[in-house]
Amino acid sequence: MATHALFETASGYAVFEVKLHDAVGSLEKAVQSSIDDYSKFSKMVSLVSFAPFQNAAHALENMNDISENAINPYLQSVLELNLAKPKKGSSVVLAANSQLAPQIKSQLGITCAPSEIATDILRGIRQHAAKLLKGLQDEDLTKAQLGLGHAYSRAKLKFNVNRIDNMII
Amino acid sequence: RGGGRGGGSNVILKPHRHPGVFIAEGKESLLVTKNLVPGEAVYGEKRISIDGGVDGTKVEYRVWNPFRSKLAAGVLGGLDSLFIEPGKKVLYLGAASGTSVSHVADIVGPEGVVYAVEFSLRSGRDLIGMAKKRTNVIPIIEDARAPQRYRMLLSTVDVIFADVAQPDQARIVLLNAEYFLKNEGHVVISIKASCIDSTAPPEAVFAKEVDFLRANKVKPIEQVTLEPYERDHAMVTGKYLRHGQKE
Repeated sequence: MATHALFETASGYAVFEVKLHDAVGSLEKAVQSSIDDYSKFSKMVSLVSFAPFQNAAHALENMNDISENAINPYLQSVLELNLAKPKKGSSVVLAANSQLAPQIKSQLGITCAPSEIATDILRGIRQHAAKLLKGLQDEDLTKAQLGLGHAYSRAKLKFNVNRIDNMII
Repeated sequence: RGGGRGGGSNVILKPHRHPGVFIAEGKESLLVTKNLVPGEAVYGEKRISIDGGVDGTKVEYRVWNPFRSKLAAGVLGGLDSLFIEPGKKVLYLGAASGTSVSHVADIVGPEGVVYAVEFSLRSGRDLIGMAKKRTNVIPIIEDARAPQRYRMLLSTVDVIFADVAQPDQARIVLLNAEYFLKNEGHVVISIKASCIDSTAPPEAVFAKEVDFLRANKVKPIEQVTLEPYERDHAMVTGKYLRHGQKE
């Protein structure tokens, strides 16, 4: 079962606390049934911390790492700060992206939730992100996505190793 | 090419059944969308200015060619609903140079968002160029097979439109749906039979794709052929039922 969740946005990393209210095994079902309903879902997760990116370059650097399933030092510090150092018998279980979870586990020693559960929790957070992330409007998020989308895509073109082959015939 | 002046007086604009899509009726009927960036064509398409009703102001529309855009062909093919409407968030897989995407951007309007994913760098360059003018388009140069690579860029979307012409296209759509499509959101997929199986009859290929969707949480809604604009193409729409509820 998950106790926390890591959600990556274009403007920063968000760490949520996932509140368990019922018996083991019901979480997935509970998320599924309340995922569309903000009033229900907002009772299941609460924002612990939102770590914004400092600037556009910083966001791009983090996005590049995320896309390669690498853990950026910034992400590492965010996780360590918010989840504390995992001790023996620690109860922290993180719901993270299924591709990133193995890296988090091996590099930071944080236990990760099974991917089906993580998928549904993260789906819920994505759907209600603008409301869950207090102080961040839907338009702000879209603006950040627009800027980062352009930056990321332009970088892809810039570092195209085959560029020299793309000759105009 | 690059018209737009004159011609407005004898052309009548009618809203299409689909919100955000219009028909310009003059000597011939043309499918058009309201130009988000008046005064400019994206790929040399024809523009038509029509009286806006208020103080003789003109509103500019761009002609949407069904021979160039499969979505336009689907509209003329008689799709009951496009699901792509003003204010919606759309994930567009296989954006190519962004010619069709620009019309989708016109339809969803300034309140909507189009996340346009394209893997090819050459097409991607044009896509970025188009997106510079249309700020409701977010260009993503990345492999649609790996949605986790661009998950930071997306919010939950209402519709996924796919025109990726890959044998495993349906699987790609479902991968993206798991990340980004809201429950009971919609998928609109253009299927090119020869891309999936060039030996089987097209009808059999379409049926197989629909069966695959049905087995994977998508309830098929309708299927139209894109004839006469494209050969052996079909457009399929469906509803994503994340939790497999029966309706």
